[in-house]
Amino acid sequence: MDGMTTTAVPATSTAEVVGFDQVTKTYGTVRAVDGLSLRLHPGETVALLGPNGAGKSTTLDLLLGLKQPDAGTVSVFGTSPREAIVAGRVGAMLQSGGLMDDVTVAELVRLSCSLHPRPYKATDVMARAGIAQIADRKVNKLSGGQAQRVRFALATAGDSDLIILDEPTTGMDVSARQAFWSTMREQADQGRTVLFATHYLEEADAIADRVLVLHRGRLLADGTAAEIKARAGARRIAFDLEGAFDAAALRALPFLTGIDVSGQTVRIQSSDADATVHALYGLGVYPRNLEVAGLGLEQAFVAITEAEEAKQS
Amino acid sequence: MNSLIKLELIRALRNKKFLFFSVIYPAVLFLIIAGNADDTKIDGTGLTLATYMMVSMASFGALTAVLMGNSERIAKERESGWVRQLRLTPLPGRGYVLAKTAGAAVVSLPSIVVVFLAAAVIKDVRLDAWQWLALTGVIWAGSLVFAALGVAIGYLASGDAVRPITMIVYFGLSILGGLWMPSTTFPQFLQDIAKWLPTHAYAALGRAVEQSQAPHTTDIALLAVYFVLFAGGAAWLYRKDTLKA
Repeated sequence: MDGMTTTAVPATSTAEVVGFDQVTKTYGTVRAVDGLSLRLHPGETVALLGPNGAGKSTTLDLLLGLKQPDAGTVSVFGTSPREAIVAGRVGAMLQSGGLMDDVTVAELVRLSCSLHPRPYKATDVMARAGIAQIADRKVNKLSGGQAQRVRFALATAGDSDLIILDEPTTGMDVSARQAFWSTMREQADQGRTVLFATHYLEEADAIADRVLVLHRGRLLADGTAAEIKARAGARRIAFDLEGAFDAAALRALPFLTGIDVSGQTVRIQSSDADATVHALYGLGVYPRNLEVAGLGLEQAFVAITEAEEAKQS
Repeated sequence: MNSLIKLELIRALRNKKFLFFSVIYPAVLFLIIAGNADDTKIDGTGLTLATYMMVSMASFGALTAVLMGNSERIAKERESGWVRQLRLTPLPGRGYVLAKTAGAAVVSLPSIVVVFLAAAVIKDVRLDAWQWLALTGVIWAGSLVFAALGVAIGYLASGDAVRPITMIVYFGLSILGGLWMPSTTFPQFLQDIAKWLPTHAYAALGRAVEQSQAPHTTDIALLAVYFVLFAGGAAWLYRKDTLKA
């Protein structure tokens, strides 16, 4: 299951939604985005994953034409980001995007609809975003999660082909977040390309059919969530050993990508758990409480970024 | 863009503090200043104090509406990220500034009219019908100069700085430009400064109408220069802000 496969690109895709070619953006001495090249294809749901300061926000700003690259080119539907926005092909919500004060939710959504060249009905937009019941509330009286839903409504006010969501579930509790995911999935199901930045890894795992891992402005990994996990060591093997044992022999096990021995407990990451476990029994030990489990995306992510840090230093 | 202008209007009308300051306050100030005035003419103008101050306060009211309406709100919305959010819509960049200015201009109209009403009803100021209309038009149009200044300040200052800067500019221009008291009462050196201020030329436009004259070319020219200066500055600051985003 976790074997390397080609990147999930629908067979029908010919056009390119987003193209980054060797894009660099520098602030002072910091390279926020460093020679980034990537392509998004129609219908993909893509998670942009990375720790704080990885360059996610800058990447989205470049994609939306809010910032200009120092080097390289950014194209959206074959044109400049601004042209794509003016044509109504892009809907976006930014973390840093504020809302207008002193107006109601409905007024703000209606404004957004009227600015879009191919608008939906404001009532439909609010219903889809799950804010119909707060339509008459003043925008400055909203909770964090409600404000995020209003931002989402503004981003989906019209028939756009690409939806950009920057940390869309920030400020939501777990149940609100999961409810919001189905809202996001509806957008993807309608055939739109959805790109969302997140630091909730389960979010990427649950929704995205492609995950881009960004670290220090560079693309560290690009594949399905399963591939990202595979790359970091597909499986986690944990067991206890009684009495003395030869730690060096454990470290020499085949397909091992990581090992942690603490007291009698051994935790191993392996790219081929079956072979590793087989070899483990070959050592003549008697592992107790043996567990073999898939690696969570979160652990995979940590493993990949740590490996990168190690390479850098 | 019309929808944005409409929404800006609704917001402006909902903001009670803003409405009070730009619509009621100038008329109240007018009644206080012109309260005990008799029919003595102001030096060299042939106008009574009430007539003279009516134009001053109508200009002051329009100035309040457009300057305050633009500067503080633009600075605040730049900070909150609303300006950024709008840049993700097909709205052209200058559309935001135009809508803000249009919104402010609609509030400035009642502030002019309320001063006129107070003057006509309570202080018995009498003018020809064409003069009332021309006054309204001239003061309304002239306020655009200060709308541009408001936009410039809104893009120049941010956070805590915008209010003090706006207040200094606002009171400085109002008082030194002779909107609160005739600048002829100033010491000579202040009069020399006052005559170069846009507010001085602004009030002079209306006063010329009251004296049944066409506005003076020098005043129009001075205002035009200021408009180009403020609008150019606003455009430059806007562009800078856009690149920084």
